[in-house]
Amino acid sequence: MELPIKLSRDSRVPIYHQIEGQIKALIVSGKLPAGSPLPSIRALSKDLEISVITTRRAYQDLEYGGFIKTTQGKGTFVAEVEVKKMEKLAVSSVSEAIEKGVETALRHNYSVDEIRSVFEEVLARLKDNDRGGSE
Amino acid sequence: MKLCTQIERVEKTVDDFTVGPIDLDIELGTITSLIGNNGAGKSTLIKMMMNLVKPDNGLLLHFGTNIKTSEHWKQDVAYQPQSVLGCDLLTGNHLRDLMAPWYKNWDQEMFMNLVRIFEIDLNKRFGKMSKGMQQKLNIVLALSKNTKLLILDEPTANMDIPSKQKLMNILVGWMERDERAIVIATHQVDDIKKLADYIVIMNEGKVLGKYEKEELVYRYKRYWFEDGLEIEKIPGEIDRLNDRLLISNNVDQTDTFLKKNEIKIMQSEVLEVEEIITYMLMGR
Repeated sequence: MELPIKLSRDSRVPIYHQIEGQIKALIVSGKLPAGSPLPSIRALSKDLEISVITTRRAYQDLEYGGFIKTTQGKGTFVAEVEVKKMEKLAVSSVSEAIEKGVETALRHNYSVDEIRSVFEEVLARLKDNDRGGSE
Repeated sequence: MKLCTQIERVEKTVDDFTVGPIDLDIELGTITSLIGNNGAGKSTLIKMMMNLVKPDNGLLLHFGTNIKTSEHWKQDVAYQPQSVLGCDLLTGNHLRDLMAPWYKNWDQEMFMNLVRIFEIDLNKRFGKMSKGMQQKLNIVLALSKNTKLLILDEPTANMDIPSKQKLMNILVGWMERDERAIVIATHQVDDIKKLADYIVIMNEGKVLGKYEKEELVYRYKRYWFEDGLEIEKIPGEIDRLNDRLLISNNVDQTDTFLKKNEIKIMQSEVLEVEEIITYMLMGR
């Protein structure tokens, strides 16, 4: 596997959208800097066990969005993305992730206060880890 | 979407078994896998695509040419049969020398490269090779013809696991080159999962359908319920394993019904490809 993409087949989010979101996150977080080569549509389809039709759709969306560019004969690469756009995306991906967590909590019949306290707990723990991890 | 193969109302009867009528299009740039039980008619269909079995009726075109009336398509289509007769005394080198001159795009570099990857001894007689090795040689010969369409009839049936993995990567690489297409008849789930874009399901000589892989996967779903189901049959239901576990082949219908009747779902998940194919072949 060339890219750390993990698909959830049971998610309501369509597969092509999941790929798109995860590649965007890799770009925005700086893990895939501008100019990095991306796997071909066929190779990624094999790795993710999906059809090229689905992968192509994700790549097309990313290309329209200006995140990647394809050069005939050379392949697909990460494009230069404006800093502003990156910041905006980071914010929306964070809120998306939190939304997902809240949804899970609501499914388990958590109250608003319970969710808040879980959030505080997680935040405190991760902050702690962060401090410990830098030693 | 450019088509490489058009199959229209093709039909063949041998003794009391009829394959067809079959309608099927193969698109360039895609891998189509032919699935079906033994005796479903996959090999007969493939042989008709190679004009090795002459259809009783119907029309078969490769790259716009009728394969019955022209020979041009033969430069553009390579075929790996399940078994080859009559070449037991020939070595790999002999077979190469017999085949290569017929194909104007023959790629000798690719041939030698693939021979190396699969560790094929070109001086060994075909009849002395293991089944897996014979299969590898057949595939290497077919690939090196450097055609636009490659038809594989159970290519990995006798192969060891590392060779299967190698072949998969080779086929992925082969597809990158140009606008090409592969049709692969297979019983290997991994071939379907990792290679197929389209799945064509055959049963008793008929094509039950051609599906894009994800389309097929999202058609089915497994549900676990919090309480035992008291309803006799739920829309979309094709199987019930106990009163809390149900399989549907029409997720939209089932979801709507469950919501309307306020039936609580504990969990739901998509099915594995092999389960889906099994249900499809049972006609569900």
